[in-house]
Amino acid sequence: MRRFAPILALMFLGFVSACRKHGSASLTVPEPNRRESAPLPPDSLRSTYDTEQDWSNPDHVIPLNYEQSQGKRLFYAYCVWCHADSTPAGPSNRANLTPNPHLINDGTALNALSDQYMEDMIALGGSALGKSAMMPPYGKSLDRDQIRALIAYMRAVAQPPYQKPARPGPSYERR
Amino acid sequence: MPSEEMGKVSKRLRAAFALSSVVFVAVLAASPVRDYFREWKRYERSYVRFAQTRPDTRALLADFRFGIDQIWAPQLNVVDRCTTCHLGISEPTLQDVSVPQPFRAHPPIPHHVQDWGCVVCHRGQGLATEVTEAHETTLAWEQPLLPIRYIQASCGACHEDDLPETPQLSRGRELLTKFNCEGCHRLQGIERPAMIGPDLKNIGTKVSREWIYKWLKEPRTILDSQGNIAVNGYEYEETPRMPKFRLGEAELRDLSAYLSTLKSRAVEPYQFEARVVAAWQKRPDLVDRGELRFRQMFCTDCHALAVVRAGTTTMIGGDIGPELTKVGSKVNPDWLVRWLRDPQSYLPQSKMPRYEWSDEDLYTVTQYIEKRLVDPDFMSSIPKLGPATPSETQNGRLLFLEKGCASCHRITGIAPQQDFGPDLSALGGKSVSELYFGEAKVPHTLIAYIQAKIADPLKVNPAARMPQFNLNPADLDAITTALLSMKGTPTNPGFASLVAPSHHASFNVAGEFGQIYERYRCYVCHRFNGYGGTLAPDLSFEGSRAQRGWLLSYLKDPLTLRPTLTARMPQFNMTAEEANTAADYLELVMQSPLVNKASVSSKDFTAEIAALGKQLYEVKYQCQACHTIGSSGGYVGPALTNVGNWLNPAWIEAWLRNPQALIPDTIEPRHEFPESEIKALTAYLLTLKQTAPVSRRAGRASLRPAYAGSALRRGSGSSTSSATGGAK
Repeated sequence: MRRFAPILALMFLGFVSACRKHGSASLTVPEPNRRESAPLPPDSLRSTYDTEQDWSNPDHVIPLNYEQSQGKRLFYAYCVWCHADSTPAGPSNRANLTPNPHLINDGTALNALSDQYMEDMIALGGSALGKSAMMPPYGKSLDRDQIRALIAYMRAVAQPPYQKPARPGPSYERR
Repeated sequence: MPSEEMGKVSKRLRAAFALSSVVFVAVLAASPVRDYFREWKRYERSYVRFAQTRPDTRALLADFRFGIDQIWAPQLNVVDRCTTCHLGISEPTLQDVSVPQPFRAHPPIPHHVQDWGCVVCHRGQGLATEVTEAHETTLAWEQPLLPIRYIQASCGACHEDDLPETPQLSRGRELLTKFNCEGCHRLQGIERPAMIGPDLKNIGTKVSREWIYKWLKEPRTILDSQGNIAVNGYEYEETPRMPKFRLGEAELRDLSAYLSTLKSRAVEPYQFEARVVAAWQKRPDLVDRGELRFRQMFCTDCHALAVVRAGTTTMIGGDIGPELTKVGSKVNPDWLVRWLRDPQSYLPQSKMPRYEWSDEDLYTVTQYIEKRLVDPDFMSSIPKLGPATPSETQNGRLLFLEKGCASCHRITGIAPQQDFGPDLSALGGKSVSELYFGEAKVPHTLIAYIQAKIADPLKVNPAARMPQFNLNPADLDAITTALLSMKGTPTNPGFASLVAPSHHASFNVAGEFGQIYERYRCYVCHRFNGYGGTLAPDLSFEGSRAQRGWLLSYLKDPLTLRPTLTARMPQFNMTAEEANTAADYLELVMQSPLVNKASVSSKDFTAEIAALGKQLYEVKYQCQACHTIGSSGGYVGPALTNVGNWLNPAWIEAWLRNPQALIPDTIEPRHEFPESEIKALTAYLLTLKQTAPVSRRAGRASLRPAYAGSALRRGSGSSTSSATGGAK
């Protein structure tokens, strides 16, 4: 029996350590989808909730998640009349206004503005932020989630594409 | 037994014992190791490591415990262990797409994950703790996850009324109604609509046998000059309601023969005044006048016309009535005149209003339709069929029943065929093993099955009686979503109590206004207390909104308030008496409790206050961004040029206080003005009056170019009218 004891102990140790090594090697990367036992979901599951066509490039289709698609719906109800060059009803009111409102996908101008600023702009209107009073306040008609959805949609369609700031400050997300 | 042998045996025994011990220990050792590497444990450990890379580690790990986590909602019979791996599901900081799955947070939705679990909406198996078993179809657990594209189906399982957040589901339900799917199938929560396919008992008086043949062969197809299909169900966003039945030559002959003999009531030719006909014969160019009247009557609010502009064919006009591009080559001229004079005498449920025609208008418009809305080659591809023979007629009648035509079309003497197709009221909850795929080369999933059945039923089942519907991919997805939402009556009492049933509003008017309401079909475009169409403004509170004098003049001669809209109220040529009755009714009955006319006195609105209001309008709030006064301003909201004659002062005040309280989906933002500013703005708006009312002639002349210019844009979709109509 004594002859077997070291062999047994060795086997057990070897078994455990091998597994440890294997385990720790693959677990260092926090990408659980890479695991063999957890295959990537089929394509249909990864397909997006909704899409929007890039206004300047019809071949470019932008995927939208749930929140962004709610923003899209609200945009086409409330904002499209002044923040697009054509509307579901035909002509746009944009050219009528001075200064010209920004197009919703105007990344050059809007990417630099923080989410907090955009939320204030939509909720309080232009005059509250020292901009044109032609932008009315929507804070009493739209709730906070709806305004955030609008911003999420705006970020999704922005051209050039919107890059989230490297380290988000303690902005509205944590409130 | 000798002792040496005993020793030998015990030695062998010892070896066997040692070996089995090793095996036993190995097995014992393997099971904790296997347990340690179970999928969900690895996700939990990697979540901890992931949380440590985030700035808010402490918050992310505050609720974290190793072990299986589950959401338990006993009243719904929900036990979902999804949160064992989906650990960040309700962490607001993990919403970004850069967060790896399965740790990403759920986007904000009206239902909280902790109360509802996951499977209620996403399907799959909540009890499973293996990735594959939870998400996909396995032998033991069949229900796979619902692809996110069709997720609105889950909203529809409980919400039988349409929600603003689920446009795809609403569109799918609308299509199911439009194509009258419940004519043949049983569907959950969809009522049989009042208007199904046209009543065919008189069809022989309306169209020729050749036209029926052509229509049955290829419903609503328009060929361009090169013979290419320019507008069909695929390319025009509005699919024809009539599907394709794939009929053979003999079947087409028989069915067209049978239908062409259906003439239960002969059409009496209408005798025009001799003066009108004589004038026409002298001036054939009067056909242009017919076209002008056709446009002025805004027939295109409901009917579409195919128009070639810049080389491409587009449809302009609405989809309430049939498309009319070639109707002159279709219908019998005597039938047309009778139809225009009294549509309901041919088809009682028709949505077409009964206009008050002058002989002159009726004659010029019919001439325009017969001369201009035609195609000389319309029938060129159709063989001469000649009169119907008795045997053809008899076969045609049999075919009519065999093909299920009576499910949608009524003919005297033929009973409607209900349940002609299979019951689909629980289709959305079926598992794959319950479906028959036949030879179809599609993935064996419920969604692929539904889509293959709609796109080409014969591929799934060569003996299918189901006709073919040409749907574009978006509509196919929408209709799939609506079908997936039909999971039958919930068996769980917890769910059964959650179902939010749809409201079937109805608005029935008796008396004199009832006759006007039915005659002009007001409810086809306008909404009254939740019942009616969405093309035109909701009239539920019209009596609080508009002044009586304005209503009266508008009913007689509708001028637009929204210059960019292409759909306008047609001129019905109402008599003064009818207009009075309608104005009286609207004034007295369609009232909002929030608007108290007695509380406002015109003495409050002095010139000084109005001047202050003008300042507020032009400088502080810059209302001109959206509203037009005279010829300047925006055109998002209605023109306010004549608002002093149009709106009641009490309405203006209530509106400025809270527009959404009066019309919930209006896009006018709620400002919460102080009361003094509300008074001032109201005072200013009341001073805006158009002094000289626009004469009828001038009004029409100005309308025409606006219409011609805007007609092009009409093709952009039916959302046009509803978006802006609701915006009023």
